[in-house]
Amino acid sequence: MLLGARGTGDRSVWFIIVLIFALGFAFIPLSQILFGLRFTYTVRVVALGGSILGAISGVVGCFAVLRQESLLGDALSHAALPGVALAFLFFGRELSLLLIGAGIASWIGMRFVAALLKTTRIKQDAALGIVLAAWFAAGIALLAYIQSLPDASQAGLDEFIFGQAAAIVEADVKLISGVSLFLLLLLALFWKEFKLTTFDPEFAGANGLRVGAVNTLLTTMIVVAIVLGLQLAGVILMVGMLVAPGIAARQWTHKLDQMLILAAVFGAFAGGVGAVISALDSDIPTGPMIIVVAFALVLASIALAPGRGLVWRRLRQRANRRRFAAQNVLRDLFRYALAHGAADSPAPDAFIRGVAEGSADLGLRQLLAEGQVEAVPGGWRLTAAGIAEARRQARNQRLWDLYRLYGHELGLPVLQESRHSEISELLQPAALAALESRLNGDDER
Amino acid sequence: MMPLERALIDFLLHFVAREELNAFLRSPQNTATLIGCLIAVSGALLGSFLLLRGMALTSDAISHTVLLGIVVAFLLMTKVFNLAGDTSSPWLIIGAALAGVGTVLLTEMLYRSGLVKQDAALGLAFPFLFAIAVILVSRYVDDAHLDEDAVLVGEIGLAWANTNSHCFEHCESVTVEPDHPAAKITRQCQNCRELGISARDERAVFAETCSNCGRYSPAKAWSAGLLEREPVLVFFPKSISVTLVMTLLTVAFALLFYKELKLATFDSALATALGFRPGLLNYALMALVSLVAVGAFDAVGSILVIAFFIIPPAAAYLLTDRLSVMLILSPIIGAAGAYFGYDLARGLLLGLFPLSEGIRLVNRLFGLSLAEEWNTSISASMALMIFCLFLLAWVFSPRYGLISTMIRRANRRRLFEDQVVLAHIHNHQHTARHQTELREESLHRHFRWTRRKMGRVLMRLRALGYVKLVARCAELTERGDRHVHAFRQTMLEAYNIPDIE
Repeated sequence: MLLGARGTGDRSVWFIIVLIFALGFAFIPLSQILFGLRFTYTVRVVALGGSILGAISGVVGCFAVLRQESLLGDALSHAALPGVALAFLFFGRELSLLLIGAGIASWIGMRFVAALLKTTRIKQDAALGIVLAAWFAAGIALLAYIQSLPDASQAGLDEFIFGQAAAIVEADVKLISGVSLFLLLLLALFWKEFKLTTFDPEFAGANGLRVGAVNTLLTTMIVVAIVLGLQLAGVILMVGMLVAPGIAARQWTHKLDQMLILAAVFGAFAGGVGAVISALDSDIPTGPMIIVVAFALVLASIALAPGRGLVWRRLRQRANRRRFAAQNVLRDLFRYALAHGAADSPAPDAFIRGVAEGSADLGLRQLLAEGQVEAVPGGWRLTAAGIAEARRQARNQRLWDLYRLYGHELGLPVLQESRHSEISELLQPAALAALESRLNGDDER
Repeated sequence: MMPLERALIDFLLHFVAREELNAFLRSPQNTATLIGCLIAVSGALLGSFLLLRGMALTSDAISHTVLLGIVVAFLLMTKVFNLAGDTSSPWLIIGAALAGVGTVLLTEMLYRSGLVKQDAALGLAFPFLFAIAVILVSRYVDDAHLDEDAVLVGEIGLAWANTNSHCFEHCESVTVEPDHPAAKITRQCQNCRELGISARDERAVFAETCSNCGRYSPAKAWSAGLLEREPVLVFFPKSISVTLVMTLLTVAFALLFYKELKLATFDSALATALGFRPGLLNYALMALVSLVAVGAFDAVGSILVIAFFIIPPAAAYLLTDRLSVMLILSPIIGAAGAYFGYDLARGLLLGLFPLSEGIRLVNRLFGLSLAEEWNTSISASMALMIFCLFLLAWVFSPRYGLISTMIRRANRRRLFEDQVVLAHIHNHQHTARHQTELREESLHRHFRWTRRKMGRVLMRLRALGYVKLVARCAELTERGDRHVHAFRQTMLEAYNIPDIE
C-alpha cells in the first residue's frame, strides 16, 4: 500500500506542477475576463516580482521545513528590522543598502542564536524567541526615532513590517531575479552537501563533510531569501512565505528535487496572486494576502495530496472497512451454510445480524452489489459467485495459517503479514506449490 | 472592573492623600512604568514554565493570534451588535483568549494529522491567523486604537489618559433634560427641504433637539460646568486595573498550582501516573498566556510582549537551578527592565548615561546630522532594557556566565598542563634518558608545545615550588613529588585501579 501510494504521489507531482503553472499564467487573463480587472504595467511588474520572490523563498524554505527549523525563519525575519532602520539612518533610502543592512542584522541574529546555544543551556526555541523579540524591539525603537526626525524621506519604511508589493519597480525585479539566480546556482553547486546534511548529518560528518560550514551556508541563504522577500511579505509574516510552500510541497512527494520544484511553483503562485490582489486594493496589505493564499495551498495539499492527504486517507479507511465487513459477512454466511447442509443453504437474517453486529448492513450491501449474495424470504443465500469467493478466501486464510506454521521450515521468504493480502500474489509459484502441498484436503474447514 | 478599582482606591487612600494619588496616576511615566512592571511580572511567571517546557515560541504564536480574537470580537461588537467600539471591553478579552487557545488547538491538529512537523505547524498556523487579523484591521476597522501601529507597539505612553473616574464626595450625577437650564436646544425645520419652503413659511413644522442632553457622571458634569461644588475625584487609568487583575490571576495560578506545574513541567509522565491532569493544566496555562497577551496588547502591542514572556525567564535560567528561585528572579528582572526601559525611551540608559551623547558621537564619527534628542517607543525600549539585563546575566552569571565559564575553563586547562608536565618529569627523572627528556630548552618538543607556553608552565610550577632546575634539567622538588603522588593516589582511587608501584 505504502509503495503504491509513493508511486502515485511521484507521478502526480508533475501533473500538479503543470496545473499550478497553468493557473498562475492564466490568473491575469482569467481575472481580466471574469472580473473585468485592468492590469497596468505596474501590476504586471508586481506580479512578476511577487512570483519570483515566492518561488525562491519556497525553494530555500524547503530546507528549513525538512530540518525542523521553521521558526528560525521567523526569528531571522524579525531580526532584519533594525538593520533596515540603521541602514536608513546612515545611507538614506537606497533599497539595495537597506536590504544589505537587513541581511547583516539578521545574520548577526543568527550568530547570536548559535552563540547562545553553544555557551548556555538555553534551548533553541527560547534562543530564537530572545533574538526575535530583542532585535524587533531594537528595530521598532529605531523606527520610532526615525519618525521623530524632521526628514520626510522616512515615509514608507514601515512597509518592511507588513510588506508593500506596490512599491516594487522594474529595477527591483532585476535585482531580485539576479540574487535568486545566484541562490539557485549555489543550491546546484552544493546540492549533495545540502541533501546529506539535511537528512543525515552524522553520516555527512563521518564522510568528512564540514557540517557546520554547510549549515552556516544554508542559513545564510535563508537569510538572503528572507531579506529579498521583506519588501513583499514584511518581517512579521515572512516565515509563512518561507515554510508554507515547502509544507504544501512535502505532501505531494517524497523526493527532494520534486519537493523543491513544487515548492517553487507553489511559492510563485502564492507570491504572484497575493501581490496582485493587494496591488489592486490598497486596503489589503501584501504580506498577509500572500500568507492567506499560501495557507490555502497548504490546506488543499494536506487534504488532497494522493496517498498522504486527509481525504484519501479517509477514503481508504472507508474502503477498507467495507471490504473488511464484506469478508466477515461472507465467511459467516458460508460457515452457517456448510453447517446446515449445502453451501447454498440460506441463513436467517437474525443470524447474520447477531454475528456481524454493526457492520452487517455495510457488508451485505457490498456483497449484494458484487452479486455474491441474494436475498431470500427471511434470510440470505450465497450465489455461485459468492461460494467461489468464499472458498477462495478460506483457502487464502488457510494458506496464511500454513505459512505461519511451516514458512520458516520450508525456507519461504519473509512476508509482511496481513489477513487481507492475497498470499498467492506475494509468493513465487514454486514456494506457493510447496505451501499448498501441506494442504491436506481440509481447506473448507 | 469598576467596583474592584473602587476597592483598590479606597485601600490606597488609607496611605496617601487623594491629591497625591491623582498626581501620581496623572504622570505618564508612573502609569507606564507601573503597567510595564505588571505585564513583566505576569509574563515572566508564565514564561518561566513555557521556557522549561520548551514551549517558549508558543507565547510568540499566541501573542500574534490574540489580535485575531480582538479584531473579530471588535467587528462583531461594532458591526453586528452596534455597540460602541471600546478596545478595553471584556468581550475583546474573551475573544482574544479564545483565539489564543484556538491557535494551540489548530497547531496540535495540524501536528496530530501526522503530515506536518511541530515547528512547521506552529510556523504555519500563527502567520495565517495573524495575516487574517491584519487584513481585517486594514480593510474593515477604522479606529484609532486598533490600527497596524497599535498592533506593533501599543500605547503604553498614553495609558494614563484613558481613565475611569471615581467620585468620593459631592457626587452629583446630573441628568440634563430639555427643560434643564443648561440644555442647548436647537430648533430645526423638519419638512422645509422636502416641501422646498423657507423656515418662515407657515406650513413649516419644527422639531426641537437637545444637543447636550443625557446623563452626566460627576466628573463629566464638573468639566461641563454643570456643578457648583467640585466633586472629589480620583482618575484611575483603565489599563492599570486590567493588567493588575491579570497579574493577580497569574500569581494566584502559580502559587496555587505550583506543585502541579512543577511536576507536569519536569516529569509529565509521572504527573499523569499520579493522577494529575497535565493536559488540562497545559490548557489552563495556555489560556492564561492568552489572557496576559490580551491584557498586554493595549499597552505593548502583540509582538513586543514576547520579550516580556521569554527574555526574563531565560535570564533567570542562567542564574539559578531552582524553579522557586527562578520564579522570583524572572519577575524581578522583567520589572527592572520595564522600570529602566521608560528612561531608555526618553534617552537615558539606566538612569546614568544620556543617549544623546552617543548620537553626537555617531554624528561626529560618520559626518551625519541626526537629531540628538532620543525619544522613542516606550514598549520597545522596555523590551530592549530587558534584553540588556539578559546580556548582563549571560556575561556575569556566577555559574553559567561567559566570564565564569571562561575562568573555569582556563583554570582547568592550567591544571591539566601542570599535571602532564609533572607526570612527564616524574616518569623520566632519575632515568638514563633524563638528559634528553628533561632539558629545559628542549622540554617543549615532547609536548609539541611552543617554547613560550612551556616556559610559562615551568615558571608557574617553579613558583609553586613543585619543580626545580638542576643542571638545566627539570626535576621535582620534594613538595612536587608529594603532589604527584597525592594526585596519582586520587586518580587510582577514582578509577578503582590497584596500585602496582
